[in-house]
Amino acid sequence: MPEKLSFYIQRSSAFHSLNPLTKLGLVFAFIVIAYTSPFYWTATVIFGLGVLPLAFVGRVQREFLLAALRLLVPVTGFIFIMQSLFLPGGERELFHFWVFRVTVESVAQAYLTVSRIFVMISAFILFLLTTHPSALMTDLTRRGLPGTFAYVIISTLQIIPQMQSKAQTIIAAQRSRGMETGGSLANRVRALVPLVGPLVFGSLVEVEERAIAIEARGFTSRLKKTSLYEIADTRLDRGLRWFLLGLVVLSVAARVLAG
Amino acid sequence: MSIVELRNVTYQYPFSERPALEGIDLRIDEGEFVAVIGPNGAGKSSLCYTVSGFIPHFFKGELQGSVVVGGVETRQSTLAECVRRAGLAFQNPFNQISGAKYTVFEEIAFGLENLGVPREEMRARVERMLERAGIADLAGRSPYALSGGQQQRVALASILVMEPQVLVLDEPTSQMDPIGTREVFGMIKELAGRGLTVLMVEHKVEWVAAFADRVVALDGGHVIAQGRPEEVLTDPLLAERNFGLSRYTLAARAALQAGLWPAGRRLPVTLEEAVEGFKAAAA
Repeated sequence: MPEKLSFYIQRSSAFHSLNPLTKLGLVFAFIVIAYTSPFYWTATVIFGLGVLPLAFVGRVQREFLLAALRLLVPVTGFIFIMQSLFLPGGERELFHFWVFRVTVESVAQAYLTVSRIFVMISAFILFLLTTHPSALMTDLTRRGLPGTFAYVIISTLQIIPQMQSKAQTIIAAQRSRGMETGGSLANRVRALVPLVGPLVFGSLVEVEERAIAIEARGFTSRLKKTSLYEIADTRLDRGLRWFLLGLVVLSVAARVLAG
Repeated sequence: MSIVELRNVTYQYPFSERPALEGIDLRIDEGEFVAVIGPNGAGKSSLCYTVSGFIPHFFKGELQGSVVVGGVETRQSTLAECVRRAGLAFQNPFNQISGAKYTVFEEIAFGLENLGVPREEMRARVERMLERAGIADLAGRSPYALSGGQQQRVALASILVMEPQVLVLDEPTSQMDPIGTREVFGMIKELAGRGLTVLMVEHKVEWVAAFADRVVALDGGHVIAQGRPEEVLTDPLLAERNFGLSRYTLAARAALQAGLWPAGRRLPVTLEEAVEGFKAAAA
């Protein structure tokens, strides 16, 4: 069973030591600005001068680039090609072949869309790589997020690998009784049916036990909860968050004024 | 002084035909180790849930009679207060892991966080607990990456760190292999030696004989026998009612029926007692 259940990579860096809320705020500020700013190159600049250098500051550049390469490049590449080919309108034709006509305008629009998606996903990758999920939840709980909500998020993250390994066990059990799970697509789809029942109902039965286990640990206690780790929230964090908020407001205002 | 006191307790789960517990009277003294045995459906788990307050706070249905733990009626307090007095651990170690924590250390601290224990004290208590449970070397591991026996010791430590007055164990080793069983019992033995009050449901009667001050036999929601382990565990009544007696008891019983067991000698529970008995028979 894998020991690692999140994307988090433990390194010590200035970026890691920021408060989780600051990092989350940074992600959202980048995204909002990338989408609202009236300037064409904003998203590109945010990625090139914001997200990418921060990945180096956070010393997760290798993992960051790998994830971006595997996840982002195929997705954005596909979107770029489709939009370039199919966006209607556009005066200045670059080239055409068969039924397709690629214009400067469609390419420009495709690039804008792609650069924004790039900022959105890469910022989240950076966030996930440098923020421990329980640090985020501890911090948000302290700020008033209900404990049950935080629990649902964290336990879901943990339960996915458990469900995967349970599904593997069920598949192995059914194959050992002669069920075919490989071969044609129809075969594979048919093999899913006897998997879903045991997996879903088995999990539902476990819910009661897990609820008992959590209650036994005083989860519903009305005392004010404390936390094992202290999550630092420095003056720098607070300053940064106000600064980001200011940038977001400016960006939205610029968009409104630009019409 | 009794720390747990059940008086005429009857409980029926919602949508069930008959009561799971019927007219139970049970007192447990401070520092006492009480083992509960019984066939499936005897009401063993229900008894655990009643003492730890899950009945009536978690399981609905009707609870009659009085359940007093640590001087307080369970009905009168919240579930969180009940589990502080009587901590509960059960069979499946995997389902007892909170799922909210990434290391064993954090897992054990989870209960203390919920109780609002200050950070310094929390660290000290978790560290002490890790030592006592013999799992200090696991502190940094993911609770999901442990063996069953290790997980169960983490689960026990997670409850004990909250310092309950009574520890309620519902078949803590039923899903363990022999090594896991030995690990878990080793820990329970260590705790019992420190005077912790324990109520344990357990099928492995040889272990029960080694630990318990008193054995309570449940069947059909009734207490049908209780007393010293060597008396209850060799009671012929239990063999007739499908209680899982130890193989030594069963062997000696067969020997008795064949006229090979010394007349008047009590039936054995453990290997040593059986050896003694058969030696005496051969002599």
